[in-house]
Amino acid sequence: MPNKQPPPVLQAEGLTKRYGRRTALSGVDLSVPAGRVIGLVGPNGAGKSTLLHLACGLIEPTSGTLRVLGSAPAAGPSHLARVGFVAQDTPVYGSFTVADHLRMGAKLNPGWDGALAERRIAQAGLNPDQRAGGLSGGQRAQLALTIAAAKRPDLLIFDEPAAALDPLARTGFLRNLLEFVAELGAAAVLSSHLLGDIERVCDHLVVLCASRVQLAGDVRDVLAAHRRLVAPRGALARPPAGIEVIWSEGAGEHDTAVVRGDAVPPAPFKAEPVSLEDILLAYMTRASGTTGEGTR
Amino acid sequence: MIWLTWRQFRVQTLVAAIALVLIAAYLVYLGMDIRDAHDAYRARCASRPADCPSALAQFRSDHESTLLFLAAGLQLIPIVIGTFWGAPLIARELETGTHRLVWNQSVTRRRWLAVKLAFVALAGAALTGAASALLTWAARPFDETTGDRFSRIMFGARDIAPVGYAVLAFALGTVVGLLLRRTLPAMAVTGVAFIVLQFAFPNMVRPHLIAPEKATLPMTAQAINGAQNMGSITGGAVIHGLAVPGSPGAWVSGISPFRTADGRTLSGARFDECLNSPQRTGADGKFGDTAVCLARLNLHVDVAYQPKSRYWAFQGLETAAYLLLAGLLTAFGLWRIRHRVS
Repeated sequence: MPNKQPPPVLQAEGLTKRYGRRTALSGVDLSVPAGRVIGLVGPNGAGKSTLLHLACGLIEPTSGTLRVLGSAPAAGPSHLARVGFVAQDTPVYGSFTVADHLRMGAKLNPGWDGALAERRIAQAGLNPDQRAGGLSGGQRAQLALTIAAAKRPDLLIFDEPAAALDPLARTGFLRNLLEFVAELGAAAVLSSHLLGDIERVCDHLVVLCASRVQLAGDVRDVLAAHRRLVAPRGALARPPAGIEVIWSEGAGEHDTAVVRGDAVPPAPFKAEPVSLEDILLAYMTRASGTTGEGTR
Repeated sequence: MIWLTWRQFRVQTLVAAIALVLIAAYLVYLGMDIRDAHDAYRARCASRPADCPSALAQFRSDHESTLLFLAAGLQLIPIVIGTFWGAPLIARELETGTHRLVWNQSVTRRRWLAVKLAFVALAGAALTGAASALLTWAARPFDETTGDRFSRIMFGARDIAPVGYAVLAFALGTVVGLLLRRTLPAMAVTGVAFIVLQFAFPNMVRPHLIAPEKATLPMTAQAINGAQNMGSITGGAVIHGLAVPGSPGAWVSGISPFRTADGRTLSGARFDECLNSPQRTGADGKFGDTAVCLARLNLHVDVAYQPKSRYWAFQGLETAAYLLLAGLLTAFGLWRIRHRVS
């Protein structure tokens, strides 16, 4: 591998995290290339938050390794400066004003971009003198996003940032997020169980389900590698060579399946394009079916 | 980091400053009052030497309960620091989730905790140290006449020992908050644990900081009448509150039960006999006929005591022991926050 290539944004090997008897992540292997907006998809309790908390060093793995931007998570102040994290429910200090939060960011981050922060706060329509405890969910998310981004990280991590927001606030937040990513030239990892959000924002996908990675790849490649297959009843029991059935369903005289494979199958199979959402659903359904439980 | 610590801690600092001003005003007033009373007692002593003992007794009794109350009050300051400053320091962040915000700035968790601990511990030490210094100053004429500052209660409310208590209480609260992760339970556990420690340490550890001197005191009627009280709820043949004749102002840390001439413990039956139905002799003194009755048995007690000259050694050792314990807790907290949180 040439040295010039930047290290993977996330690289996991056998990554496992257990909380007592509950396994949140089980032997995850993952390599996410740089320069992408990565969507981490999965049902609630699939281990998304666990993976992201591991990535920003809030917790340590039970076994296996995870490297973020080429080094151990939260390895030191300089590595902390390179990773921005917006936690679930976007926590802020209720007694601090918006301006206090920016001041905190300036004091705690050597690379703080005060002009960027103030511009963004003004664009989001936040009053610097308002206490953060009185902000709406959408405003709070904008504030948390600004704090994470104004330290000019190389990687921004978002844990379900928009889940609690109404559709309008969510749209504004996601647009803002993309603008930040473009302005900083940063990579971003965004977890969500809202497939629509992921489809709108991300160009690389990781499907996490039942503590394991079910699918990982660029959106373009994922779309190219999957198709919907319609076949006479029962024909999918023996799929054509080079085709893997992810999920199938019988309706009337036909079975419909989401399959993976480059080969274009001969008649009586009929291939159609399939939406990203259906692909993701197919993987998640398969994962929850084989293990018997997809959520905690 | 210092700005953030100050921003999160400024209300507490303000409350502490106001409390200290009020405490200081009262203690200055009390100190003046005690000095006036002391001058009056000395004047009475000089003009009529026969009145001296009663003047001294009055000077003592006028201020004894106030100073005991203040000694207990000063003990409350470390408890308040531990429960209200220490316990929420990390627990509140974990409870509100803001640790996920602040620990992802470009400051390691360890440094975040170290700065907060240093800043707040200094504030706590300053507050407690100032209150203790003022109380020590206010009570000085009283302590000098009674030689009481080495006693179990007063010792912890004088000079530098309270600073050690405050720093330990704060470190304890912080670590309990880190382990329990919830503010209210952490406050409760910190308060209870520190109170237990403050009872256990003076009784179980402090007497052994330096090996005590031993003495055998013959129990004459005069010696018995000099004691504070006798007997116990379990009926043992014991005596409390003896002074060591050759060592004024010493802290007597242990007194054996009454022993007979052959070294055996006086039986409870013989002791009760003297206590309840002594031979009438018309003797006066605090314990009257009982003292005479016991004195006839030719008894003695073995005492362990620390001479007055060791007061500062004990202040230093006790403060060092508390600071050391606080240091160990802090080291554990710094290790734990790096590896085992959330």
